[in-house]
Amino acid sequence: MILAALVVPAAVAVWLLSAGRSLTHRASNLLATTASAVTLVAVVAAVVVRPTVDRPWVPSLGLRWELAVDGISAPLLLLTALLTVAVVVHTTDRPPVGGTSAAFHACLLLVEFGALATFFARDAVLFFVAFEVVLVPMWVLITRYGDAHRPAERAGAGARFVLYTAFGSTLMLVGVLALVAKAGTSDLDVLARGGGHGIPGHTQAVIAALLVAGLAVKVPVFPVHTWLPPAHTTAPTAGSVLLAAVLLKMGTYGLVRLPLASVPEGFARVAPVLAVLGAVGILWGGLACLVERDLKRLVAYSSVAHMGFVVIGLASGTRTGLQAALFANVAHGIVSALLFVVVGGLKERWGDADLETSRAAVREVAPRLGFALVVGLAASLGLPGLIGFWGEFLSVYAAWSAEGRPLALFRTLAVVAAVGTVLAAAYALRVARVVWAGDRNVPLIADTRSSEWLVVAVLVVSTIGLGVVPGPLLALTGGAVASIVGAAP
Amino acid sequence: MSALTVRVVVLVPALAALLGLVVARRPDGKVSRLVAQAGSLVTLAAALVQLLLTHGSGHVVHVGLMAPLPAGELRIPLQLQVSAPAALIAVVVAVVGWAVHAFAAWYLRDDDRYGVFAATVSLFCAGMLLVVQSADLVLTLVGWEVMGWCSYLLIGHWSRKETARRAAHKAFLVTRLADVGFVLGVVLLAAHTGSTAYPAVMAAFSGQPTTLPMVLLLVGVLGKSAMVPFHDWLPDAMEGPTPASALIHAATMVAAGTFVLAQLFDLFAASDAARWVLALSTAVTMVWSAMLAFGQSDLKRLLAYSTLSQVALMLSALAVAPPHDGPGAGVLHLYSHAFFKALLFLAIGWLAVGMGGTAAASLRGGLRGHLFIRPAMFVGLLSLAGVPPLVGFVSKEHVLSAAERGAAQGEARAWLVLVAALLTVVLTAAYCMRAWLVLDDVRNADVARHDADSAPASVRTAVTVLAVLTVVGGLVVLTPLVHTGGHVGWLLALVSVLLVVGAALAVRSRAADGDPAARLVGSRATSFDRGFGVDRLYVAAVARPVLALARLVVFLDREVVDAYVRGTATATRWGGTGAQRAHRAERAASGLTWVVAGVVAVTLAGVLLW
Repeated sequence: MILAALVVPAAVAVWLLSAGRSLTHRASNLLATTASAVTLVAVVAAVVVRPTVDRPWVPSLGLRWELAVDGISAPLLLLTALLTVAVVVHTTDRPPVGGTSAAFHACLLLVEFGALATFFARDAVLFFVAFEVVLVPMWVLITRYGDAHRPAERAGAGARFVLYTAFGSTLMLVGVLALVAKAGTSDLDVLARGGGHGIPGHTQAVIAALLVAGLAVKVPVFPVHTWLPPAHTTAPTAGSVLLAAVLLKMGTYGLVRLPLASVPEGFARVAPVLAVLGAVGILWGGLACLVERDLKRLVAYSSVAHMGFVVIGLASGTRTGLQAALFANVAHGIVSALLFVVVGGLKERWGDADLETSRAAVREVAPRLGFALVVGLAASLGLPGLIGFWGEFLSVYAAWSAEGRPLALFRTLAVVAAVGTVLAAAYALRVARVVWAGDRNVPLIADTRSSEWLVVAVLVVSTIGLGVVPGPLLALTGGAVASIVGAAP
Repeated sequence: MSALTVRVVVLVPALAALLGLVVARRPDGKVSRLVAQAGSLVTLAAALVQLLLTHGSGHVVHVGLMAPLPAGELRIPLQLQVSAPAALIAVVVAVVGWAVHAFAAWYLRDDDRYGVFAATVSLFCAGMLLVVQSADLVLTLVGWEVMGWCSYLLIGHWSRKETARRAAHKAFLVTRLADVGFVLGVVLLAAHTGSTAYPAVMAAFSGQPTTLPMVLLLVGVLGKSAMVPFHDWLPDAMEGPTPASALIHAATMVAAGTFVLAQLFDLFAASDAARWVLALSTAVTMVWSAMLAFGQSDLKRLLAYSTLSQVALMLSALAVAPPHDGPGAGVLHLYSHAFFKALLFLAIGWLAVGMGGTAAASLRGGLRGHLFIRPAMFVGLLSLAGVPPLVGFVSKEHVLSAAERGAAQGEARAWLVLVAALLTVVLTAAYCMRAWLVLDDVRNADVARHDADSAPASVRTAVTVLAVLTVVGGLVVLTPLVHTGGHVGWLLALVSVLLVVGAALAVRSRAADGDPAARLVGSRATSFDRGFGVDRLYVAAVARPVLALARLVVFLDREVVDAYVRGTATATRWGGTGAQRAHRAERAASGLTWVVAGVVAVTLAGVLLW
């Protein structure tokens, strides 16, 4: 099942890139929809059955194809598979501009393949390889299929995305190699069970610092976040959704798997710095959103703020914190996907996404789109009863009760994070006041319908559903979290 | 049985909201009306059954709402409670919710977004009922914030108006800012306890210092209840449709804080500092806003300021009541204020339908000949002024005597509240008299103008029920449903009745040509309407600095944080260009020599070191 989930998107993508290049939009979309749906079924089956795959890969180096599912990766696998189906369906009636439709779909499937492989991987080196696989298709999505009006910015954003994250990856690679060399194994499960025993404290700290620095680029954590806004602004809607909902999650997932689980002692030394940066990111992103003019950039900055909560949860070193981080991770995936679909749709209709231009109020002319926007904004400001609340509340709680960390510092950060929720409210309402409410009816824009409405509806239902009943998702991650933090010394 | 009813009480309005949202876009509002009213009636029935089941027993039952959340170390059991005070207040909320639904269906019959409005009102009631029935800090927080969001939607319902958009924005931001305190208070309580269940929190904090979490929680309460210094959002919230104002002011959002603090009264009473903060804020608020109420040129805003003053009165009972008396007096005033304030809002909304606005000038003489609204408004204003034996008198006297008992124990803050409350009694009587004189001005009566009387039976029923409860609701103190902790002091009651009568007569004597406020306030009316410029203070003290900081952040983001990134790129490019120049002079052959030399060197090193 795991193999099916990996082989299907990869094979279809390769075929689309080679033999299927001349396929029409309709045909390639149908093929991609089928492939992503099959993948989704396979992922669901894998999450339920929890099989493992273990084959030798480079025996002389001890590298193995070791793939498995556990509570930490299961929600992210489901999120990735679901959102790929969503973006492919979303593309149905918007033929991509800038290149062939087949290549566009191939890139989407390749991103899915890379992300799924990252989440399945149980071998540190395999993890790294899979982590890098997504870069190229995402670069193609941004530079080829991005904002058609601004080719120079597209190229710049794409290049910056690739170079910045590749730079982060190099740091991470050094960290991974150092870890593997010191621990003598690249098996993530063995590393997690070992919990860093036998590696001296300062070496652990160096390894953890390298890993955290590398992964922080991907998350992204302040101050290495500046690749994100341009990438989001220029990427096509499908690309933005995958970027926010899948790629950023690979960063936080990596933080859990590598430094947190493998070198807990070293991570504990880095954690205060990471938490401070997360808290700064919450304020920084929130403040930037208050004056940002471009709606897509605004959502991108709000991502920086939301990932700050995830980082604080991770850094707190408590089970509640880790639960909060994993929940907030999924929540941000769904909410930012929703917002990017809506905002991307608005940009498509308006021609640009400048907030200073006066336009028709979305509530008046496109009530369904307006409703989706308001749900997204409410979830973004952490309204209880919607998915965004639980992760952020538990994260503040975890920071306050972070025993075993510098308590005064973490308590200050809890206050800062709580203040950050006010900034979130301020920018969410700013968008609502400018975009959603108003008395203008011109220029008229079309309301959402067919494939776009379907995708939006699914995301709205998940936002509300998991917000009202968060129990199942927390239970899914609960066991694995207990084993990771329980194993820490 | 009680487990079932409490779930029905909380979940039915939530379901009605969801269903209402689904059907909201149907062109005629028939289905929306049906869903909203059926939902509110079922809720009311369940709340009444619950009240009968708990009748007077001090027993508290805990019921799980859903499975406890597996949140690591923290236990979140998500329980509801069935207790006598919760059941009583749930009935109050359900009654007001039902009346508002009945009224809104008529009041907004031509509104194209009535469906959304009705669904939001249902959700609002669900949030309040969750707060009332919750036995878990997290559930309280959920209901608390849901109410805040619904208030945003309701105040901004007429989002085509810029004033409504601004009022909604302001209401949500001010309350959300204060909610930082609420969230942190909840976090502190939970962090010390390791659980969010009320009983566990109570047990963990018995004998422990509670000042910090309680002060934080109190900040959130002050924000939601619109106490000084967070008070200025509430008068602006009058931009919402009148049924929404009735709901927000009467039984839900602004009163919710009273009930939350009453639930945690043992912890709250243990902290002198928190009680001082509350006493100061409420004492200032009740006098300040009663004074402002008198000078308002818009009668709906007069009612808004009267809400501030009355909510301050109910909260002040919690600040000064002796610990062993319990929070009963405050909860009783919450109960009574809900009825007469909902009645007043519905009556004035009804009146405004026929008169085209709520400004004092356009409502002048509107009650004359209005056989239905006139008595309703009459009892409503008498109750607000605190005339015996109406419900407002009964509960106000309990608050006063709670303060008196506190003062008898030598508490300075109880003296402060007592003096402020007596001053408020005078001012309240004055503005009630003024409102009555304006509304009942015989010279402006126009008996021909009574098409507004055409409200359907459901609206009449709602107003009648509220009016009856306003008159006889005070009898509740004779039942075992409330425990106010003490009796009304007759001397104090006599004093306050004399104050009421005196103030009313004084105002009446100044009302030579209609509106007494015109003589007493005169040209200062504009600054009364602006609430003495507090709004500008908010903008100057909070909004502007934050926006300036935001601009600084954007500048730094572009010119400092990102400069390193661009700098790296530029440096690399220069490096590349430089190296290219350096190599341009060399011939290919010499370059090849270097490569060969390098290969040889590496090979030698490999062989030697192997």
